[in-house]
Amino acid sequence: MSQRDSFLDRRITRRTMLQGTALAGVGAFLAACGTPPAATPAPTTGPTTGPSETPAPSASAAPTEKPTPSAVLNFANWPLYIDQDEGTPPKSPTLEQFTAKYGTKVNYVEAVNDNDQFFGTIQPPLQAGQDTGWDLMVLTDWMAIRVIRLGWVETIDTANTPNFVANLQDVYKNQPWDPQTNLRAPWQSGMTGLGFDEAVTGALTTLKALWTDDARWKGRVWFLTEMRDTVGLALLEMGKKPEEVTEADATAAFAEIKKAVDAGIVRSFLGNDYKESLVKGDLVLGTAWSGDIIQAQLEKDTLRFAIPSEGGMIWTDNMLIPKGAQHKYTAELMIDWVYDPKIAAQIAAYVQYVSPVKGAKEAIAANSDPAVADLAKNPLMFPDDATLAELHIFKALTEAEETSFNDQFSTVMGN
Amino acid sequence: MGGPLRRFRFAVPYLLLAPGLLWLTVYYVYPAVQMFIASFWSGSLSQGYTFSLSNWTNYTDAIARYEEQFVRSIVFAGLATLLTFLISFPLAYTIAFRGGRYKNLLLFLVIAPFFTSFLLRVISWRTILGDDGLFLGPLKGAGVVPEDFRLLATPLAVITGIAYNFLPFMTLPIYVSLEKIDRRLLEAGQDLYAAPFMTFRKVTFPLALPGIFAGTLLTFIPAMGDYVNAELLGQTPSTRMIGNVIQSRFLVNNDYPTAAALSFVLMAGILVAVAVYARLLGTEELTSGV
Repeated sequence: MSQRDSFLDRRITRRTMLQGTALAGVGAFLAACGTPPAATPAPTTGPTTGPSETPAPSASAAPTEKPTPSAVLNFANWPLYIDQDEGTPPKSPTLEQFTAKYGTKVNYVEAVNDNDQFFGTIQPPLQAGQDTGWDLMVLTDWMAIRVIRLGWVETIDTANTPNFVANLQDVYKNQPWDPQTNLRAPWQSGMTGLGFDEAVTGALTTLKALWTDDARWKGRVWFLTEMRDTVGLALLEMGKKPEEVTEADATAAFAEIKKAVDAGIVRSFLGNDYKESLVKGDLVLGTAWSGDIIQAQLEKDTLRFAIPSEGGMIWTDNMLIPKGAQHKYTAELMIDWVYDPKIAAQIAAYVQYVSPVKGAKEAIAANSDPAVADLAKNPLMFPDDATLAELHIFKALTEAEETSFNDQFSTVMGN
Repeated sequence: MGGPLRRFRFAVPYLLLAPGLLWLTVYYVYPAVQMFIASFWSGSLSQGYTFSLSNWTNYTDAIARYEEQFVRSIVFAGLATLLTFLISFPLAYTIAFRGGRYKNLLLFLVIAPFFTSFLLRVISWRTILGDDGLFLGPLKGAGVVPEDFRLLATPLAVITGIAYNFLPFMTLPIYVSLEKIDRRLLEAGQDLYAAPFMTFRKVTFPLALPGIFAGTLLTFIPAMGDYVNAELLGQTPSTRMIGNVIQSRFLVNNDYPTAAALSFVLMAGILVAVAVYARLLGTEELTSGV
């Protein structure tokens, strides 16, 4: 099963691995950071300025582009986050079909291995007001918020993206940081909840388990290094809402997390690589991402993912058009393309995360391959309304809050 | 032909040095200067950074906040170096004096594991040391160790991981200095009625010191800044080393000033430690031999 293998790869490469090698680039990176702060472009698309619905502002930004598809489109995404065929080298049907329709060669690069690390590569040109070389990039919502807050994205001309307007699931619309729903387009979502090996821990439903000194899982529990996932679940455990987190709530949540660490219940703070330890049995319980567990079940069928009774987190990776992108119109065509339910179904069936596109579920259910059609019944890929109601989105933090929260979280993690 | 060459003979050493110097300037001096400047910044990523000498407090703040991780790095690196030495010396000694015609094969075997990627080796150690892995699984099955005993995410895993990964860096220099010992000196020791151990203590060991010195430096210095072993074998807040802190400060918190200050404290700390060590062992050993 090549699909399964590639998922294994993804867990390792996506976040953890490159953090180490990225250090090598830090010297050069720092050199670039020395640019005077005066070069920071004034935020023009931040939530406070309220970008208008009309396409006027976008036309003024980049070199005037006629509404014809460009010859190339530079697309930065996470590794193994799009459908691929069995060929060598594998091709993505979604991208091949896009090229066939518009004549655009898609330069699709798995350049985003880590939000922070990728940010490090686009920050110098954006700060200097230059083009990043990318037309479309995929970042997790909190990083998308940061980039939007810095005014480093182009507004999507929604006149060019009728599928996006019609098919985006309502839950994603009108976020406080993207009030007109035209600064980013969700790529895939996933849930954060309890992941556990039922054979060891028994069935679990409550987050209290993470704070319970139980011989079955003491010292074999992990928390995610993604601050918003771990803090979000800690807040839910304490009966607070992650949407409305205050500085005081967060401080209390860090103390709560530290309690579980000091009690010896929590062993590690991990990124994507928790899955490997979970499959091996070193870890048996922790805060997990839904898509990971669906994949890991192929290797260990006693693994379970549960949305905790206190609620779970939902996060989203988003397509953004960086400021000054050379092929903005074509990027909008790509956004529209992946919001075609048939295309969305093609991607979702391969990556097995939550598709943000209305109609993707029906398109998967109609697939002639029963194994694919069955995916439509998977609540972790297609959560129903009741499930969605249990999921929380972490508050869009101000820079001061983000700095403070990250700092406190680092301390809890031993950094 | 000899004329012009002779005229510019004074330039030859500089020309020979130039590639190396250029390399170091671009990839070491320039980033180091940048980093030094960054260590005196204040501000944040989106507000921009400002340089001021009054930000020397970055250093004191960093040391105060991360004292625990600094001390841990010294202790872990020190213990790992000692462990590496205890394993390497008998190994190198055996190969040098008892290896016979298998010498080259044995040396190859010491290096052989290092033909695979560093990361792969550390990740395999995770499999070997796993809670129910190759090593602990049978022991737990036999009831030798309690069910909740673990090696991963303990200081022991990090220290042994470092020791393993730096083994050839200790073994090879020691081997080289043992190998070139003139055997007649050992015979002379015996002729003078020294017991084997006395010959070892008075002749072999002192002659091996340059190798030991080089081996300890090659092990201790990278071990101090180790990031991978603590990250992959430690994975618990109580085994974080200073390398992990620097990584996290740079890339997760975007706190470049603190990260830069920590890097310089680490560098300065290692320089001081090496200077003291060189003093203790005698500076001649630095340049002689190996």
